[in-house]
Amino acid sequence: MKLHLQVKNIRRFSQALFLILFLWLFLQTESKGANELGYPVKIFLDADPLVWLTTIIASRTFYGVFILALTVIIATIILGRVFCGWICPLGTLHHLAGNLKKKTAPNKNTGLYRTKYLLLIFILVLAFLGIQLTGILDPLALLIRSLSLSLYPMFSYALRSFFDGVFAYNIPLITGGSEFIYSFLKRAVLPFNQPSFLQGISIGLIFFLILALNLREKRFWCKYLCPLGALLGILSRYALLKRSVSEDCDGCGACLRNCQGGACLLGSPGGAVMDKAKAWKNAECLMCLNCDDPCPKNAVSFGFSRKPASAALDLGKRRIFSSVLAGVAAAPLLRISPLAKIGASEPTLIRPPGALGEEMFLKRCVKCGECMKVCITGGLQPTFLEAGLEGIWSPVLVPRIGYCEYRCTLCGQVCPTGAIRKLNLEEKAATKIGLAMIDKGRCLPFAHTMSCIVCEEVCPTSPKAIWFEEVRLRDRQGRETILKQPHVDLSLCVGCGICETKCPVLGRPAITVTNLGESRSKDNQLLL
Amino acid sequence: MNRRDFLKNAVMSGAALTIPLGMAPFLSLAGGADRPDLAVVRGPSPARITRAAVNELGGIRRFVSRGEIVVVKPNIGWDRTPEYAANTNPEVVAEIVRLCYEAGAKKVKVFDHPVSDARRTYKQSGIAAAATASGALVSFVDERKFKDMAIKGQLLKTWPLYTEIVEADKIINVPIAKVHGIATLTLGMKNWMGIMGGSRGRIHQRIDESLVDLARFVRPSLVILDAVRILVDNGPQGGSLSDVRRLDTVIAGTDQVAVDAFGTTLFGMKADALGCVRIGHSAGLGNMNISRLRIKRLTI
Repeated sequence: MKLHLQVKNIRRFSQALFLILFLWLFLQTESKGANELGYPVKIFLDADPLVWLTTIIASRTFYGVFILALTVIIATIILGRVFCGWICPLGTLHHLAGNLKKKTAPNKNTGLYRTKYLLLIFILVLAFLGIQLTGILDPLALLIRSLSLSLYPMFSYALRSFFDGVFAYNIPLITGGSEFIYSFLKRAVLPFNQPSFLQGISIGLIFFLILALNLREKRFWCKYLCPLGALLGILSRYALLKRSVSEDCDGCGACLRNCQGGACLLGSPGGAVMDKAKAWKNAECLMCLNCDDPCPKNAVSFGFSRKPASAALDLGKRRIFSSVLAGVAAAPLLRISPLAKIGASEPTLIRPPGALGEEMFLKRCVKCGECMKVCITGGLQPTFLEAGLEGIWSPVLVPRIGYCEYRCTLCGQVCPTGAIRKLNLEEKAATKIGLAMIDKGRCLPFAHTMSCIVCEEVCPTSPKAIWFEEVRLRDRQGRETILKQPHVDLSLCVGCGICETKCPVLGRPAITVTNLGESRSKDNQLLL
Repeated sequence: MNRRDFLKNAVMSGAALTIPLGMAPFLSLAGGADRPDLAVVRGPSPARITRAAVNELGGIRRFVSRGEIVVVKPNIGWDRTPEYAANTNPEVVAEIVRLCYEAGAKKVKVFDHPVSDARRTYKQSGIAAAATASGALVSFVDERKFKDMAIKGQLLKTWPLYTEIVEADKIINVPIAKVHGIATLTLGMKNWMGIMGGSRGRIHQRIDESLVDLARFVRPSLVILDAVRILVDNGPQGGSLSDVRRLDTVIAGTDQVAVDAFGTTLFGMKADALGCVRIGHSAGLGNMNISRLRIKRLTI
């Protein structure tokens, strides 16, 4: 028993370690000014077999490093869902949130656990039909997205507003101390700029809702909803590491109370033991080993090469069929949109530089939000319906919020699935993400006989895509003035949007970028 | 200015700069009366010509005293590496920081409010590393430290400026010489845009008056114009090495108008070609008649 206690603590240690590693890598997903990020910030997504599998299926292409994903697959085949119980950072957060639930009720043993398998089937069917929706429900993509777009901005806002308050009141001694702490936090954990994202609120609410489900039942998400858990559950069906229960079991149910996965089943009332071969659902077991210690009879043990001692995974043929059918129906439903028509796509859908053609991009993008997290100007934002429902939460550049820094290639460096290619600086300079055009009705030198040319100043290409023409104009009083009026050289413009970001005509700027002319599209072109 | 004019002038000014003045170090010791208004020093080492230029003006102790807090304000505006001449030369900045500490400065602060992302500009310009290595406190601009200030200029009455500039004992302006779409050139006075907060792009509507108002308000102790490399086209951020000319020169002075007037001639233009120079001259900020100034030229 003593030994087993240690095993549980090792599991806790492992969970803490991976959560810290995950959060540390998350913090490193930020520019320090160099061209390269220098840290393998996407390794958790690289290790995600569901992301790996569905991306390959949906895009019909192999990609990237799959050593990590294969390692997880093999580990699961041998050891069961250790990823869920020992590694998954979202699982660990659920584990922690579950501690808020006051009473530990035994597993209800409802059929709800099937939901995650049915969701997995739905996702896989869609992947076979070329649609990638994994990112919406994949636990790692969900966690990184929620952290990037919502929780981390919240954290930053809370800390900043606190320290700004102390700074503004300038209390003797205290402000000096708080500024010291603040400067340390800025270096250690705070983002360089306060991040802000469209839909940050709703994405945060979804996350908190999922977390709150732990109050209904511990690890609700892991037990009933997680499609990655379902995939690993199927892989662990014949895992070599198994639980066995000896004849000493009197069905007291002590093992049930701390079961994290809903794998331990209640014996029949009155102490009689139900069929022990069916007292444990191995596909549901997170290998947390919580059932081991509380057993008063010391009847529970884990070990290799035991006889099969698991309840069958019975999803029901009708349910499986319904799920497949739902996937088959969802695929065309998601695609009957005029947005795919040439010239009818949303013009503000400016994809990051290096993004693949839209069709392939959507098959690869798992909406993890890493590119938005790392975007140096904060201009990369999650889409809502600009790219259809299929493309929800995929990245779009919103120049009014932030432009694409000319020599920055970070979004391509962090993309886990290659939806955004990693570009070198030469490729980046040659990649158009759109074109800028001037609104002469708002531009100061055109409409208001005023000098400006900020767009020309900030244009980063060489030679500049924005050039100016000197014109003689008369103002209201009839005085002649010489003004420089800007023009865009469409062959040189890369659509970075800095002109739109910096245009002093705030709100609705006098120069705007649309995705027309983007390098990644053959059809969305203007120039011959 | 076209390229032919530029080249002609570059050759002329280059020739002028090579006139040897071996007596220079001795003359500078002679005292205030003989001090030049501008020191124009040329040579292959940016650090050495910077030091020599300051010495020609009477040495760093003329400008910085023991225990003072000094702000050294380079141009770190753009995400470009030093060879593209979009930001002040890092070796020039580092040498000025060293000089200040030699004069006993308590703290030397280096910062700019860049146009591109600050992390990239600080890093890519090489300035953060070079200035830190010589002991400067290099910091990113803290938005909380922009405060509305009564500039009381002809055009700008108030504007949010960076408080660390106002709170410093001494300010040394270290701009780089570049062409610029609306201001024609960006030299010393234009560098004060880097202490502005708010929607500063608006001042382009009347750039020259605005710059003079800022220059009158800030009043640096010393201006060192970096012309080690100058950007002659596609300014102010460049991006092509073919637009960069290597002059291996720095110009030092205390008169903001005079430094900019001289800087203008590097581009083959007349000294009064810039609006901010003309307005600064007539407002009494400084003297643009460089023919009447004592200019010490030195090649080392």
